[in-house]
Amino acid sequence: MSIKFKTLSQLKELLEKKELSSYELVSETFRNISSSKTNSFITLNEEAALNKARDFDEGKVDGDLAGIPIAQKDLFCTKNLRTTCGSKILENFIPPYDATVVDNLSKAGSICVGKTNMDEFAMGSSNETSYYGTVKNPWGLERVPGGSSGGSAAAVSEGLVCAATGTDTGGSIRQPAALCGITGIKPTYGRASRWGMIAFASSLDQAGTFARNAEDCALLLNHICSHDQKDSTSISDAQENYLDNINNDLKGKKIGIIKEFDISSLNREVQDSFEQSKQIYESLGVNFVEVSMPNIQLSVPTYYVVAPAECSSNLSRFDGVKYGYRADDVGNLEDLYIKSRSEGFGDEVKRRILIGTYVLSAGFYDAYYKKAQQSRRMIKNDFVEAFKNVDVIMSPSSPSSAFKIGSKTEDPIEMYLEDLFTISSNLAGVPAMSIPHGFANGLPIGLQLIGNYLEESKILNFAHQYQKNSDWHLKSPNLGESS
Amino acid sequence: MDNKTIETISYLARLKLDKDKKEKITKDLENIINFVAELQDIDTKDIAPLANPLEKVAPKREDSVTSKSRKEAFLSNSPESDKDYFMVPKVVE
Repeated sequence: MSIKFKTLSQLKELLEKKELSSYELVSETFRNISSSKTNSFITLNEEAALNKARDFDEGKVDGDLAGIPIAQKDLFCTKNLRTTCGSKILENFIPPYDATVVDNLSKAGSICVGKTNMDEFAMGSSNETSYYGTVKNPWGLERVPGGSSGGSAAAVSEGLVCAATGTDTGGSIRQPAALCGITGIKPTYGRASRWGMIAFASSLDQAGTFARNAEDCALLLNHICSHDQKDSTSISDAQENYLDNINNDLKGKKIGIIKEFDISSLNREVQDSFEQSKQIYESLGVNFVEVSMPNIQLSVPTYYVVAPAECSSNLSRFDGVKYGYRADDVGNLEDLYIKSRSEGFGDEVKRRILIGTYVLSAGFYDAYYKKAQQSRRMIKNDFVEAFKNVDVIMSPSSPSSAFKIGSKTEDPIEMYLEDLFTISSNLAGVPAMSIPHGFANGLPIGLQLIGNYLEESKILNFAHQYQKNSDWHLKSPNLGESS
Repeated sequence: MDNKTIETISYLARLKLDKDKKEKITKDLENIINFVAELQDIDTKDIAPLANPLEKVAPKREDSVTSKSRKEAFLSNSPESDKDYFMVPKVVE
């Protein structure tokens, strides 16, 4: 039996009915990974994964996700398993502890098969900044999978795993989910613990997940999210069971369309898919309302001050002393810092550290950093106002479908605009997800659903009802094999 | 963005740029700074800066020991250490 493209729920059922053993499932997963051409994984966890699968088959592992192989983005620390964050500077880093998200998923019984490729330190929208090579999109191997969680998205899209974790600082779950034709969700800032996530921009970073549909995302989110004393920004409000409201009727609910997002300039197919998705919701009794968010146009410039500023501060910890790469032939301590960092970081990471250093430096702080924090509040206020009138906000997830590898690497700003539709949710801290909703140029595109603070359940409900009335999420790439 | 500015911020960030890449990176930085400069024109009068979307105060907890010393585990990731210390080149001349 082929396990490729099976959903988490389908695999769970096969395991429960004993039609498949976890050992068979995990072994087949590794066979599929080894014959894959997408470069989705940086490090595999074969021995430990097979041992845990055996334990499950012997009745020694239980939990909601018991016996299910999943992949972890290589940004999450995994105890005794190499964690590179896509960088040369962490090429030999073996964490002595598990990130809370990893620990939660492990306790739920899932089996980590490996660490997925990503843009270096999650800085990128195409997975091309990874020190470990570009990930290829399963829908077209000459195309990018999106980023930064490109390896996780490609691995799920290709059917190597039914689920994988991701992190989203400016769109790093939603944009690759869209470009790879799968479902991905980023919860409210603070809903999932950041402990053990290698920090990029601490006030924006948020863990989340990829799966083949919204229902599986809901199940995974039940375990990914938790209150954690080890993360000072962790939310302590009671957590819902995200499956509870997934079948709610949408009749009479309201979706907001952002007036300031001009989609008429986008590819015709992107516009058509958006219209068709509106019609699906209208057929379910949903009403559409235009919402004005006058400051949302400031999102990309605001982000490219706030994120590099936080990045320059966070990445100062990589100094060649306590862990990570250390350069040879250094004269004194300062040389050691400079040489280790200069040889260990790639170009995009250096660019962002330098931008951050610049906007935080004396004389420029008020003009850039303080101004960006003020515009960040204006953007947040736009969301607060909009959600007084609507249940969710809907937009395309990205401006286009997957672009060709190498086509945007020369101009950083062109790459930054990939996140035009996703960045504002991170600045405000609201939950958002992407679901497949059509094709442009023969490649998948995504629909973004943004929710109010802590209303993950509501966007999952909207996404699940959409998927019950469409089949975009059932499509899978044809990599020259029958499936 | 002149050469002196690039030199200053590179030093502050403890980075040294390769000669062959310096020109490209300088141009990129200039473009990015110009791109974000539109923020300077917006009216932010009476708007308080937002540092964190939740605007929560860090919670307090009992001042108690919550984990054991794991010196060996942490030192083992260091490029160079002896039994008690991270090793670096001599600091005091």
